[in-house]
Amino acid sequence: MNDKLRDLLAWLDDRTAFRTIRHHLLDEPLPPGTGWWFTLGSVLLFGLGVQVVTGIALALFYAPTPDHAWESVRFITTMIPGGHVLRGLHHWGASVVVVAALVHLVRVVFFGSYRKPRELNWIVGLILLQVILAFGLTGYLLPWDQRSYWATVVAINISKLTPLVGESVAALLRGGPDVGALTLTRWYALHVLVLPPTLAGLVVVHLYLMRRQGISGPVKARPGQPQPFFPYQAGRDLLMSIAVGVLLAALAWKGAPPLEPPADPTASDYVPRPEWYFLGLFQLLKYFPGKLEVIGALVLPGIAMTLLALLPWLDRGQSREWRARRTLLSVFTAGLAAVATLTLLGARDKPGSTSTGWNVRELAGAALMASENRCVRCHKPDGLAAPIEAGHVGRPADWLAAHVVDPEVIAPGLREPPEANQRDTAAIVAALARLRAESPPALDPSTAHLHVVVNRTCLGCHLIDGVGGTEGPDLSDVGSKYDLASIERRINNPVDVKPDAEMPAFGGRLTTEEIHAIAAWLAAKK
Amino acid sequence: MNTPGDSRRSALARIVTAGVGLITAGLAGLVGLVATPRASGPTKKWRKAISVLDLVPNAPTSAVVAERHSDGWYETRKQSVIFVDRDGDGYRALSAVCQHLGCRVHWDDGAQQFKCPCHGGIYDREGRVVAGPPPRPLERLNVRVNPKTSDLEVEL
Repeated sequence: MNDKLRDLLAWLDDRTAFRTIRHHLLDEPLPPGTGWWFTLGSVLLFGLGVQVVTGIALALFYAPTPDHAWESVRFITTMIPGGHVLRGLHHWGASVVVVAALVHLVRVVFFGSYRKPRELNWIVGLILLQVILAFGLTGYLLPWDQRSYWATVVAINISKLTPLVGESVAALLRGGPDVGALTLTRWYALHVLVLPPTLAGLVVVHLYLMRRQGISGPVKARPGQPQPFFPYQAGRDLLMSIAVGVLLAALAWKGAPPLEPPADPTASDYVPRPEWYFLGLFQLLKYFPGKLEVIGALVLPGIAMTLLALLPWLDRGQSREWRARRTLLSVFTAGLAAVATLTLLGARDKPGSTSTGWNVRELAGAALMASENRCVRCHKPDGLAAPIEAGHVGRPADWLAAHVVDPEVIAPGLREPPEANQRDTAAIVAALARLRAESPPALDPSTAHLHVVVNRTCLGCHLIDGVGGTEGPDLSDVGSKYDLASIERRINNPVDVKPDAEMPAFGGRLTTEEIHAIAAWLAAKK
Repeated sequence: MNTPGDSRRSALARIVTAGVGLITAGLAGLVGLVATPRASGPTKKWRKAISVLDLVPNAPTSAVVAERHSDGWYETRKQSVIFVDRDGDGYRALSAVCQHLGCRVHWDDGAQQFKCPCHGGIYDREGRVVAGPPPRPLERLNVRVNPKTSDLEVEL
């Protein structure tokens, strides 16, 4: 049996020379003292491998169109077994790759590994870093949620700052008149068809050049015999990759950050933020107002990259030891510290959360949706339509409004529309918009009813917590002006309190309990 | 030493190299042609924004202007947010697109200013830059009142 196997391998080797290839690929002699610091490239390769595999798995389900991208990503995370871990791996894997690439770069600088004759490979490495960041940028758009949409709008507008050709660059990146369907297909093609072979080709060149010039090894040559790469250094690479893999799995276990509501070009209160590795650039922009902006967006990063690329020619001494390169390493460390500080400042500069509690109209809408003869008649488990849950509302607002008024439009003959009432409809649409991101707070039945009544009767004329009409006074803090009894009398019959009041009397139109509940609720608003 | 065979070989080498170059350039040109977006003509029209009766007193009112919009193969409705405000006897309409990097500004009632959430751009009620990075004031749109319907219409 063993002999047969040996014969087979010999036959194969005769025809493919795989043993020679294996020997050439793996038995490379490494200078003595090559140790853990030289595992970073392999860790990076491992991270890229994870991205390729998880990316292919995601592409099995992903649909790059504005009306389906968000849905398909939600499908991946909620419906596919292990899907949320899959997306988590791809999301956090991107961060692992960026960190590994940066640490690898820092290692190369501190070891002076870019020195002659490795200048060209250093440049290839810098280009690889740009390709990796391009992956991050293009991939960020694909989930097509608010975060991706707005970050991309900003990124494309930054590209307009390019001197002379800015508008053309932006048009090429957009693909269409606005960020939309044509942008999404374009960036998807870049992300899965253009960038991967570019990356693979450059990685091959990087490894080929690394082998051709040999590993630089420790800064000061150590005595001893060279060791073959396999299995000694390969073992270290494996251990480091496993350690990073465990860290990645721990991050991915809870999945990627939850999807935000689907991209909405009209959202006025959305505060876009880039992925963390672009936060430094994001922060830098804030220091260069108006015409100076191009300095923060392109000039400074361009100067930094150019200086990095020129390092092999700026740092040409004999010794690679730190003592001999004190000035250069100090400047480089200061640069690193500046990038880290900008990133931290960018991370800390969080906009005040615009998310507040559900307002009365949204609460009324949620209560209406849950009431028996409304949405839940069809939208229930095993019902005609899927249950309505937070994070599962993907339709645009105009579709929702039409559907709420007349579900028949969507599926004729299946069900009769609920009685239409403009204010109820507005409340349901408001609640659905809110439901894109979060669940409503639980309300007991009487409070739920109270909100429905307030929405129907008060919000027509009064503004409460920013929603409602503007004909009557704003009631958001009415409790600080009047007490419960006074408010109750005003609702019952306004003329009792104020002879020239224009407000209609609600004494006969609402029950005593309803009026009392509304008055108590308003009196608590201070 | 050059033989006739050598010069024939180098001539042929040049031809083959040029041929491969031509094929590459042709393919690259094709991709470039397809990938370059075509400029679309101006599509400005008067569009309904909001009824005069719905204007909020003493603050700019935000309105969404919807239009049919072809985004390549994707037929959709493009929605633009604008702010409409009284301006003396007339009206003023401002685009809500921050002139810095295209985020959406919102009206801060307390400060009486338009604020951009992205990079801290601030505009006054008339759209002039007060602070932050924006290089230009908010875009001012042409506005008119449709006398039949009392609708404010903007050119967008």
